[in-house]
Amino acid sequence: MKHSMMPERREGPVDPMPKSPSPEEGSGPRRPDTGSPDKDNLMKRMRKVDPKQAERYRQRTGE
Amino acid sequence: MLHRIFGLETEYGLLIHEDRPNQSPAWFAHRIRDHLFQVQRRGVLDLHHRGHDEPPGNGGFLTNAGRIYLDMGHLEYASPECHSLTDVVASDRAGDSLLQQALEELGFSEQASLIKNNIDHETDATFGSHENYLVSRRFPFSRRGLAPLVTFLVTRQIFTGSGRVGSAAPQDAWIQTDRLILPRSTFGARHVSELPFQISQRADYIVNDFFEWVQHNRAIVNTRDEPLADPNQYRRIHLLLGDSNMAEYATALKLGTTGLVLQLIEEGHAPQDLEIDEPVEALQEISQDQERRWLIQLQSQKTISALDVQERFLDCAVQHCKGQDEETDWVLAQWASVLHDLRGDYQKLVGRVDWASKLWLLECFREAEHVDWIDPMMKSLDLEYHNLNHAKGLYHGLLEEGRVPRVTTDRLIQLAMETAPKNTRAYGRSELVRHLLHERPVSAADQSPAPDGLFPPYVINWSIFQVRGHAPFPMPDPFKTYLEDVRTHLESVIV
Repeated sequence: MKHSMMPERREGPVDPMPKSPSPEEGSGPRRPDTGSPDKDNLMKRMRKVDPKQAERYRQRTGE
Repeated sequence: MLHRIFGLETEYGLLIHEDRPNQSPAWFAHRIRDHLFQVQRRGVLDLHHRGHDEPPGNGGFLTNAGRIYLDMGHLEYASPECHSLTDVVASDRAGDSLLQQALEELGFSEQASLIKNNIDHETDATFGSHENYLVSRRFPFSRRGLAPLVTFLVTRQIFTGSGRVGSAAPQDAWIQTDRLILPRSTFGARHVSELPFQISQRADYIVNDFFEWVQHNRAIVNTRDEPLADPNQYRRIHLLLGDSNMAEYATALKLGTTGLVLQLIEEGHAPQDLEIDEPVEALQEISQDQERRWLIQLQSQKTISALDVQERFLDCAVQHCKGQDEETDWVLAQWASVLHDLRGDYQKLVGRVDWASKLWLLECFREAEHVDWIDPMMKSLDLEYHNLNHAKGLYHGLLEEGRVPRVTTDRLIQLAMETAPKNTRAYGRSELVRHLLHERPVSAADQSPAPDGLFPPYVINWSIFQVRGHAPFPMPDPFKTYLEDVRTHLESVIV
């Protein structure tokens, strides 16, 4: 009987995880540019959000 | 990670964009589940009663060996068993993608959004992100043995929290006091201050330090003993206090640091002088501290910051775990980096820590639009951070802008949507699901509940399965793939 072949998948760490910024450097992702919010894609996204959507978001308690 | 199996369970919210009386979140949830199993054939539906609230057809196992099902009206995805952080992050994001793709294929993406968060702002409802860690049965599962874990969990929210606007005071909680379990209202109405922002979504809903129930009695450590593996060898640490993370980095760090602390406890190396005086209260106080000093009081009456507590755990982990494998060293380095950056401007954490990303976005908006924290838009933006729609969600906007470090890749997520990790028993279960889907197609009649007295065509659980007419096939060891044994077993099945 034939069995379907699974695609190859590497185990364990595959692509290297992000390099650790050393604490001394205090680096990390670049500091967000808050300079020109009007030109920022993120501000455009935020302005499109329906202000009343949180009011409509009524969920059941889960677990 | 050394000898550790990880798993994540996520309950998703559904935001309906237009009020339609016949289209509730549950209506969309049913359509998405049916599309995944019946149209996309991502897995096989259960044909048996898994429990009183899980009738046949409620959900099923996928070809990636995880599960999708409906729980309390929510779509829920449980990842397969994973033996590495890379796999568990990819498998978790695979669940997001499976559900979002189904929503889009159904043409519902303008009508509804999948929200990967843990609260709604209107009714104080909460829903979970549950972590699972396999430990040895010898793990010291007692109040004394678990004390370091409680301290770690209460304080880890400074880098694992997803943040929220406002606060909650659910009155339906039950609290254990000595031998009595009393409704929270017995202790008087809880005062809720209108907080602008706090760093954790779930902190307000955790009312006990230890408890075995999951709804209304959520505890820092859930004590239910359900190993889903050989109970003589293993125990499953099931945690429900954490937030759903959007940032891959935060997910990896949450699971990685917790896994290392469990190792420290197992090996007797965890710091023992950090027992918190009132851990439940401390959990909420840290989350709600607007100055982010995050001070707590220990049973020794000493006051210490959550950052200093985390530094103590990090020091122990460096001393005892460094060099054991590549992932451990990644976790140790990133843990140190995040703790270092948390002592400075929180904006350095944008992209890595969800509460920091969200707070920065909200502050940018407030500054640009001159709105106050009490403006309804702030809660709506809070939700939008968790929207799984890549074209709309604010987290995905940060990702698109290149502000978010990745821990996995889109290719690996795509692979994890279809295939199981190859180094756990998930691999064997995946083979079973593929066999049932492709070699033994289930007829429409088979998808009906089995008549009384007739065993359904198959029954699949996490640690055992049975195909009708054949002996049960136990899979008690999550570290074994069982692949060849499953193939041999299936070859003997008479169709």
